[in-house]
Amino acid sequence: MPTLGNPIVHRGWSRAVFTCAIAWLAGAQLHAEAIIEGAVTLPPPKGTAPTVRYQAAGEVAPPPVPVAVVYLEGDFPKPAAPRVLRMAQRQFQFEHAVLPVGVGTRVEFPNQDAEYHNVFSYSKTKRFDLGRYRMDETPAALTFEQPGVVRLYCDIHDHMRGAILVLATPHFTSTAPGGKFRLAGLPAGTFTLKAWIDEKTVREQRVTLTDGETLRINFPAPSGESQ
Amino acid sequence: MKRTSAFCRRWLPLLLLLALSASAPAQELLDKLDDALFVQSPGGFFRTDLSGRLDLEGYYHEGNPPGLIFPTDNFFFNPRLSLFLDARLGEQFYSFVQFRADRGFDVGLKQHNGDARFDEYLLRWTPWRAGELNVQVGKFATAVGNWVPRHLAWENPFITAPAPYENVTVITDQAAPASPAAMLARRNIPDRKGAWLPVVWGPSYASGASVFGRVEKFDYALEVKNASISSRPSAWDATELGWSNPTVSGRVGVRPSAAWNFGASFSRGAYLLPAAKPTLPAGTSLGDFPQITLAADANWSWRHWQVWAEIFASRFDVPNVGNADTLAYYVETKYKFTPHLFGALRWNQQFFGKIPNGLGGEAQWDRNLWRADAALGWRFTRHVQAKVQYSYSHQQGYLQQGEQMVATQVSVKF
Repeated sequence: MPTLGNPIVHRGWSRAVFTCAIAWLAGAQLHAEAIIEGAVTLPPPKGTAPTVRYQAAGEVAPPPVPVAVVYLEGDFPKPAAPRVLRMAQRQFQFEHAVLPVGVGTRVEFPNQDAEYHNVFSYSKTKRFDLGRYRMDETPAALTFEQPGVVRLYCDIHDHMRGAILVLATPHFTSTAPGGKFRLAGLPAGTFTLKAWIDEKTVREQRVTLTDGETLRINFPAPSGESQ
Repeated sequence: MKRTSAFCRRWLPLLLLLALSASAPAQELLDKLDDALFVQSPGGFFRTDLSGRLDLEGYYHEGNPPGLIFPTDNFFFNPRLSLFLDARLGEQFYSFVQFRADRGFDVGLKQHNGDARFDEYLLRWTPWRAGELNVQVGKFATAVGNWVPRHLAWENPFITAPAPYENVTVITDQAAPASPAAMLARRNIPDRKGAWLPVVWGPSYASGASVFGRVEKFDYALEVKNASISSRPSAWDATELGWSNPTVSGRVGVRPSAAWNFGASFSRGAYLLPAAKPTLPAGTSLGDFPQITLAADANWSWRHWQVWAEIFASRFDVPNVGNADTLAYYVETKYKFTPHLFGALRWNQQFFGKIPNGLGGEAQWDRNLWRADAALGWRFTRHVQAKVQYSYSHQQGYLQQGEQMVATQVSVKF
């Protein structure tokens, strides 16, 4: 075993090489990462009032806070393992106003209320009707294969509104309440950054990203406030 | 040629509405309307929402029209525009108005004239958010039974109502029969829908006040109204009929799980209208002749199945005759085959008790009925739906009323 020599020395060399490799990889990663931060000016929330005409209603939560989905459009490799996300129903509202997901993502629709929900969509991107299910019988997750918007409703509670935005990019995020966003881990290059508010309102801007740089982009309302 | 033009005249409005409303621009417009038709104060303390339905219906029946379809040609076209105004003031006050423009509350009631009415209007106070107590006044649907939550065209898997809500019996609210024999003689003539009554007249939008609410798995409702549950639409308005002979109705319900809902209802109130006063036996008044109804209901649902059932035992105290009892029930199921296609089946039966026949014996006071209903529906979008219903019914005896009926309905919701 001439090449190994003293096992203690060998262990020391291995550790040094490993540490250098990790440091190099981490550095490379840090260098490749660009960040975009900013804010999207959101329209005032619409909300839909619950229908209580013929039956006593339980406590209904206010509708979820409206958000925009900010994403980078480009030709990116697909993520290796599709994720499983959730769009729960709680206090007779959908958990998210809009849930952005990548193509191929599986989404579960757990019911967290004591009464039935019946989630359905007639959107061309994905048509489905899960039927009535209660709290402890979440139906099988659905896979969203096609990019586009999937408008969600409940067949029992007419006021419930939600959406799933299926995106062909791995680089997306939802805005926080108030419209702020941070999109990290982006590759260098020139791309189109989009802010999706609804089918009719998608704001966009060309961006050039440089390794290690943080870009600040705001999407004001069309009436005109500058960035 | 004649046949083609008749076909066009009858079905074209429905097909046109379907084609227009299911088109992409119409969907866009309906989506916009769905989101736009509300007014809200800046903090949301006051909010009012306007919504509506346009229903076009076509009925084709054999012979005499069945149920609450008033005498018409064998084919009858029935358009209806319904507008709903829901208003909220804070968390405690709610108000609702339903306005309809059509050809009468029931099919064919005002076949040569248009009609416009406020069918429901109410003011509700809900002191606590969880809805344990609601106090309501106005003109609104009955608390009896479990059909009311699905009685509007969009929610109803069928086009017509279940038999207890529409099968017209020989009981009249217009006059006391001179004798049992006079009442029994009515069995042999086609229904006089302008004078006779079913057990429950549709959703029974009578006027009055109610308290209702939900506590955990239980719900309750108690209402005092101006007219009995069998009373005709013209009696529901407080300006037409006061509260001198009120009807008291109620329901208690329990939901052991999300899948099940059981209820028991009662109702007691005078069913004779003031027009009948001169025909009453001496020393009696309208309030001495009540309709007393006990009912039980159940519904179950799971995934794409829904099942409803109700049974009504109703007793009409008939002047110069005595008690006229009837038992009516139905079982109804709906299944969604796909997100767009659903089917429904319903089995209805009504049995009639016996009254003295004036010859020392007894006779059934009306003819027993059974009816099977089947419906198919297609929900094109969240705003457009089309249904077709076929019904086959049979009444004891030779006289049949609409033994077969086909109905179609196109609904646009916004």
